[in-house]
Amino acid sequence: MSETTAEPGTPPGAPAGSRLSRTAWHWRNNPKRELWFAWYTTVVFYNIFFIVFFPVTHAQPPPHPWWSDAQVAYWFNHNHDGLIIGFAIIFAVAAMTAPQNALIAYSMRRMSVSRAFGYSYLVMYSLSAVPGMLLLCVVLSVGAMRPGRDPAQLHWLYDFAFLSFTGTMGIFLLGSLVWMLAILLDKNRVMPKWFGYLNLCNALTEVVVAPAWIFHRGVLDWNGLISWWINVAVFGIYTGAFITLLRTMILREDFGDGPLPDLKKNHQAKASTLAGTPR
Amino acid sequence: MRRTDGELILFWTLPVLAFIWVSAFLLFPAFIHPMSPSMTAAQVADFYRDPAHLSRIRYSMILFNWFGVGLIPMLMLLVMQVRRMAHRTPILSYCLLGCTAGGPTVFLIADLFWLLAAFQPGRGPQLTLMFNDLAWMTFTAVVPFLIGQSLVIALAIYLDRPDRPVFRRWVAHFNVVVAAALVPAAFTGLALSGPMAWNGLLPFWVKNIAIGAWIVVMSVALGRNIYRQRAEDSDQRVAEEAAV
Repeated sequence: MSETTAEPGTPPGAPAGSRLSRTAWHWRNNPKRELWFAWYTTVVFYNIFFIVFFPVTHAQPPPHPWWSDAQVAYWFNHNHDGLIIGFAIIFAVAAMTAPQNALIAYSMRRMSVSRAFGYSYLVMYSLSAVPGMLLLCVVLSVGAMRPGRDPAQLHWLYDFAFLSFTGTMGIFLLGSLVWMLAILLDKNRVMPKWFGYLNLCNALTEVVVAPAWIFHRGVLDWNGLISWWINVAVFGIYTGAFITLLRTMILREDFGDGPLPDLKKNHQAKASTLAGTPR
Repeated sequence: MRRTDGELILFWTLPVLAFIWVSAFLLFPAFIHPMSPSMTAAQVADFYRDPAHLSRIRYSMILFNWFGVGLIPMLMLLVMQVRRMAHRTPILSYCLLGCTAGGPTVFLIADLFWLLAAFQPGRGPQLTLMFNDLAWMTFTAVVPFLIGQSLVIALAIYLDRPDRPVFRRWVAHFNVVVAAALVPAAFTGLALSGPMAWNGLLPFWVKNIAIGAWIVVMSVALGRNIYRQRAEDSDQRVAEEAAV
């Protein structure tokens, strides 16, 4: 909501005072406040997600699938505090994915395609959080919380966690394809066509991850070069791209149903269409 | 005469469901005196092997499995209310839709773990302990969707038109309080005993009382809205007919 007044997409009438007073003004008057809420929530969530999954819990990059029971038990023991505290934070904030999914569904609603696309994406990605993220958090928390559990059982929990996280594929595969198809069919120029094809790249990462269910070692196991490192690189580029493009979409949004204006034209047209009409 | 749209039928399923939920809650022996996470594997296995407990665990969890998702129609009625609010975009109703799918799914997973533990109570105590841990952690800690839906409802009300609001402001404040009451449950993995353990004051009593209070308060607010909106719609129709 604290979008700066210097932005080309800022509505007219925004004051030039302190950051706090500008934020308050936008909160009350910015006609795009719901969209900005969803966008900022997305950015904050990815920051929390990165901090928790990488430095705090060490669940990413994932440890090796070929470890022995004793090594797995040592890993749980060694990361005990990080796992418990990190995933507790995720349990508190995981619903921040909902505004992100809502904003992406909204991008499809703004396109010239059927509403069915946005709704399909919304349902798929709402479900995705459970097998694709929360099960790992529950299972690793259970592994870490109780000292002295049988190492063979810890190993089962460890496999369960990392396979559910890495191996939940179809939702992201088909979800990306739904977004891709909507972008390629769209006549309203909501998203650039190249991003449609980047969706295809993201979808393909879910295909190459399937061998993680089969291999225990090598480039195709769950932390291998192909199944993890290349995937993460593509996912990082994809996420960075859509966060930037969604921001541009919000700046361009004119609340019409025709083609989305370019950033410059939108800025000029805004004075007449949106001034003083927060709703 | 207004055409039947079924909203009232969906709404009045709530008291019936609430009766079933409360019955199942009281039937489940591990809820009345919530099981402590500091119980040993042998104690947990004995709990499931006790014939007095076993049937009650199974029947209560079957009831929850049948009727737990029954909350979704109420949540959809709330989505319909959010859609009536003076928002520029459907973003907040989409957010609410996204959260509503998650809560019952998570509860069903906990339900499955409890039923699994009870299915073969004769297996090794360590395995029963693990399924019991998985059930309790899923049930207790995985609260994000409940927190999310309360905060989305609160935000939707705050961003509604202040002169003719769909819900009054206090409903938004109430939802923020409920969301805050649910947050400590997310941290239950930190303690095996005391007020933060899954049978403790904050993750069990405060959280579950908050959920119960949310269902009751939001049902009443929702019911009043649905009846008021119906009365307004029929007044409008009478006025239109008189004008013709």
